[in-house]
Amino acid sequence: MFRRLFFYLVSITVASSLATASGTLGKVVPIGGAAADLALDEARGYLYIANFTANRIEQMSLAKNTIQTSINVPSQPGSLSLSPDGRYLVVGHFGNFASPGSAANALTVVDMVSGGKQTFVLGNPPLGVQFGIDGRALVVTSAEFMLFDPVTGTTQVLDTVTGLVAKTLPVDNGDPTFPPNIVAASLGISGDGTKIYGLTDQFQFSYDVNSTQLTIVGYVSTPPQGPRVVSVNRDGTYYSSGWTLNDRFGHLVAEFVDPTGDLNIGSHLIDSKRGVVYAQIPATTAAKNAPPVLIVADAANLRVLARYWLPENLAGKSLLSSDGNTMYSVSDSGILVIPVGSLDRQPRVAADHEDLVFRGNFCDRRVATQQIIVSDPGGGNTPFSISASTSGVSVSPSSGVTPASVKVSVDPNVFQNQKGTVAATLTIISTKAVNIPAPVRVLVNLKEPDQRGTPVNVPGKLVDLVADPSRDRFYVLRQDTNQVLVFDGSNNTQIAALPTSNTPTQLAITFDRRYLLIGSNDSQIIPVYDLETLQQLAPIIMPGGHYPRSIAASSKAILAACRVAGPVHTIDRVDLASRTASELPSLGVFKNNVDANTNLTASPNGATILAVSADGTTMLYDANVDSFTVRRKDAGALSGAYAASSFNQYVAGNKLLNSSLVPIATFETGTGQSSGFAFVDQMGLRTNAPDASSPGVIQRVDTTTAIAARATRLAEAPVLGDKTYAFTRTVAPLYSRSAIINLTVSGFTVLPWAYDDSVAPPKIAAIVNAADLSTAVAPGGLISLFGTDLSPVNIATNELPLPTALGDSCLTVNGLPVPMIFVSPGQINAQLPFQSAGNVTLILRTPGGVSDNFNIVIQPSAPSVFRAVVEGYDSPVATIVRASNQALVTTSNPVHRGDVLTVYLTGMGQTAPAVESGVPAPSDPLAIAVVAPQVSLGGVSLPVLYAGLAPGSVGLYQINVSVPHNVPAGLSIPFKITQGSGGTTVQVRVVE
Amino acid sequence: MSKHLLLVCAVLLLSTFPAAAQKWEIGGAAGGGFYTSKDVNTPGASASAKIANGIVASGWVANNNGNVWGGEFRYDYQRGDLEVSSGGTKASFAAQSHAVHYDVLFHFAGIESHVRPFIAVGGGVKRFEGIGTEVVSQPLNGVALLTKTGDLRPLVSVGAGFKVNARRFGFRVEAHDFLTPFPTKVITPAQGASIGGWLQDFVVSAGISILF
Repeated sequence: MFRRLFFYLVSITVASSLATASGTLGKVVPIGGAAADLALDEARGYLYIANFTANRIEQMSLAKNTIQTSINVPSQPGSLSLSPDGRYLVVGHFGNFASPGSAANALTVVDMVSGGKQTFVLGNPPLGVQFGIDGRALVVTSAEFMLFDPVTGTTQVLDTVTGLVAKTLPVDNGDPTFPPNIVAASLGISGDGTKIYGLTDQFQFSYDVNSTQLTIVGYVSTPPQGPRVVSVNRDGTYYSSGWTLNDRFGHLVAEFVDPTGDLNIGSHLIDSKRGVVYAQIPATTAAKNAPPVLIVADAANLRVLARYWLPENLAGKSLLSSDGNTMYSVSDSGILVIPVGSLDRQPRVAADHEDLVFRGNFCDRRVATQQIIVSDPGGGNTPFSISASTSGVSVSPSSGVTPASVKVSVDPNVFQNQKGTVAATLTIISTKAVNIPAPVRVLVNLKEPDQRGTPVNVPGKLVDLVADPSRDRFYVLRQDTNQVLVFDGSNNTQIAALPTSNTPTQLAITFDRRYLLIGSNDSQIIPVYDLETLQQLAPIIMPGGHYPRSIAASSKAILAACRVAGPVHTIDRVDLASRTASELPSLGVFKNNVDANTNLTASPNGATILAVSADGTTMLYDANVDSFTVRRKDAGALSGAYAASSFNQYVAGNKLLNSSLVPIATFETGTGQSSGFAFVDQMGLRTNAPDASSPGVIQRVDTTTAIAARATRLAEAPVLGDKTYAFTRTVAPLYSRSAIINLTVSGFTVLPWAYDDSVAPPKIAAIVNAADLSTAVAPGGLISLFGTDLSPVNIATNELPLPTALGDSCLTVNGLPVPMIFVSPGQINAQLPFQSAGNVTLILRTPGGVSDNFNIVIQPSAPSVFRAVVEGYDSPVATIVRASNQALVTTSNPVHRGDVLTVYLTGMGQTAPAVESGVPAPSDPLAIAVVAPQVSLGGVSLPVLYAGLAPGSVGLYQINVSVPHNVPAGLSIPFKITQGSGGTTVQVRVVE
Repeated sequence: MSKHLLLVCAVLLLSTFPAAAQKWEIGGAAGGGFYTSKDVNTPGASASAKIANGIVASGWVANNNGNVWGGEFRYDYQRGDLEVSSGGTKASFAAQSHAVHYDVLFHFAGIESHVRPFIAVGGGVKRFEGIGTEVVSQPLNGVALLTKTGDLRPLVSVGAGFKVNARRFGFRVEAHDFLTPFPTKVITPAQGASIGGWLQDFVVSAGISILF
């Protein structure tokens, strides 16, 4: 007795804690039975619910979300549909019920005006019923498709089917939460009422209401297509069924990731107006008994945009109100009413960063802090708590109410033996928020002077890297957001983000260098992009069931290694012109049967395509004979790097292969697991790492001797493969031969082309303020250093706070690290620390050594107005902006009397409140210059409205002034700023 | 309008009142204005500056102070963009002008004549106004700058035409040449450039008036 009581108490406690762990989205409306289907009658203000087990149609008030009345009907109402004019409600009675059930198969027509009911017996169990815009209902039974006219009660058989086995209801397996409310077929209709799509155990079908054309397509699916729900967009051009998203021809555009295939758990609904899909699709990767989650996904590629907690599982059809504000879903208790139109007003929490990067360096060993803002995107005050996964990373405060600023601190001493990038996680939870906030990744890197490369942070899961063979660009594949990120190779800045299909896996560029093709794991199409315009073109449609995980283009053929929904995975040939692909009947003399984990890569000269498989198989396609000529298996397993050269050499994992794919050498493995390999002419570049938090190593490989030499430590580890994706492509020498890009833990790492050359020590020739290049500089001001060998690479950063080491260069002022913005061999732009003052010594450290001391005097204030190069003017123009048109003051946009002007400058020194060096200036409170400036125009004093740091910027100040009506007019009027002992004057044109 | 302009208007209005006992005329006219251009020269370049042709609307109060002499106070509104051009490059900027002036008229036929040719000469002021949208970089801004501001200039008016009187209504066709110093505040020579002299504005118009 005691033990049983204890068990109950624990159960109650656990259940309570789960229920209160977070907010949930939506209101549950119990119906006292099992809901099987829904119909929305907005004209009368009701949702009709087929209560399968209670033999009635529940009428739920849309205004009150309560069951108002019910319509008693014959046994087992399993489906229902309301005629377009709202006159008739047709109910299908599923009579093929396993013992002890004994109901009849029938249709009941309820006249919603008179209240009359009439039941028509059917020969076969009806699986689904759906009205079209023509006022007739498509009825799917286990043996035929029929059109039912509710006015006359007549039926017309459209087609008969075989093999559509009526499913007896799920057997009660003892799970008390198992909802026995789904039958074998589900139907959905487009918003315009013209297209009906359906899903059964063995085939999908579409019915065109206008032409009465029925199209049936069989399928095989593992796992089964569950949830057994169909949702159609407004005009019927695409629909989701089971765990797939399909175009109107049935091509699988995208699928939800890792579905369990449960028929009766989950649901989905397309919202055409917002271009999203609301879905609960149980995943095999979810923890057992995990609370149900509603995802909001992009309807184009199922990219997950947001996640919300649900109070209980969805369990069947969902409908959307005509105003798009409310989603009604069959659920465990009956109905779940979800306010999808007001998601932005629900209590939520989110951080303003995906990644938080802490880069220490040999110049800077201080505890570093950064701030993140935790807010409710709807503007509410939502409680939250936040915690770090790793010691050495701390947060303060650890809980609060949104909006809140949270300070994240990293103690470098904890990570001092960790020379690669350590990734920690900040987890945010909330008892009130209904969403699942994305965690923040904290990346800590403390590289040593010998570690080469400049990491550039790119959040997300990055899985492939390709350099454009004819443009100074490179492409990074971000899998978690279904995007190809396009970077400019000259400055490593992102210039575009191209949407892909779901779970992209690999990139390929056609041999003519014109098109980018993207393989994926969860789609049966290949997106195609024009590389000149970066515009998306028509996709390539794969054969049914073929998922093109890897693609390579030779001079002759484009091949795709496919995961196939079937017993054999294949290599397919892609026809770019027709945008189709077909399974190769054989791979030369070899069977077309490959490991699902197979990657392809083409040699740069287009002569061959190498295929490497995780089971240890290697294959070679020869473009000259347009066939596979070699297949070998020299290892039990393969993983890591794969590459093909133009000189008949190949790399698979740690093996160097000859033109017959015979291993001719094995690379050393002492430096870790293989990650990337790139052939550069007849030399190779190879990267390895023992694990993700190690520095990693890049080596030059002599391909004639296979000796890897000149191992150089990287700033952080290259990306390593896993069981799902065994092969990795992480090294990309740029077409311009200006740099080598490496896909690494926190994004990518830029190495100069001659990264391991001996480097001359840096020499500083001049230090000036960055605004007008005069020598007067002040604390917190932006400066430019000029000299030689200041950095091995050109690189600009947009990281905030600014890093104190960039491009392997770091600068100190009297030993204090200097935040840096841009480095190049001849120039560095940086911010003088606010603590620097008086006579100071600057020292620059690079891989080439340490510069001589460079002594300067830092003034308390040295205002200097920035200059901008403007087309049409011979000399740069002072950055003074007229508030009236937000344009720079020039001779053709002169100052007018009565104007308000904003001057952008640097060198105004200390502020109140003080702002940390390298950190963006706050907006609330504003950081006001401690020493107030005086501003005059033509000798007339201008009222200063604001003088201080420009919010959101580092080292950039602004002065706002108004122009009185007594300033003199003229072409060249002196605009003078005086601050303490410093000052500057620019000439402006003034008109009346 | 500036204080100067208002003062001139008041003086001209007063000058018509002594003849109030004579025959009066109130009228309006519409037509077109045609400006001459001026060269702008810098050490490195030269350009042509002008005000574009545009519509003109005029109104007047006239007094026939005798058999052949008369006088009229007149207002002219004129649209015409500011323009600078050099080679194939051209900059323009929306502009308008307002002119008030008093003209003395000598008629070649008596007051009772049906058709009365006349010549006119007078003076006043003209305000040029740049009203376009300012941009950071204007074409040819190294030569001249088209500016959103006002420029009040003295005006000399000479003209000729003829009136046709029909009972209580009069019709007239006339041509005027308005001369003003070049408006350098709205078409401003750039640093090192020079522009000057008089700007001529030929206006041809036709109008109708009420006689009383």
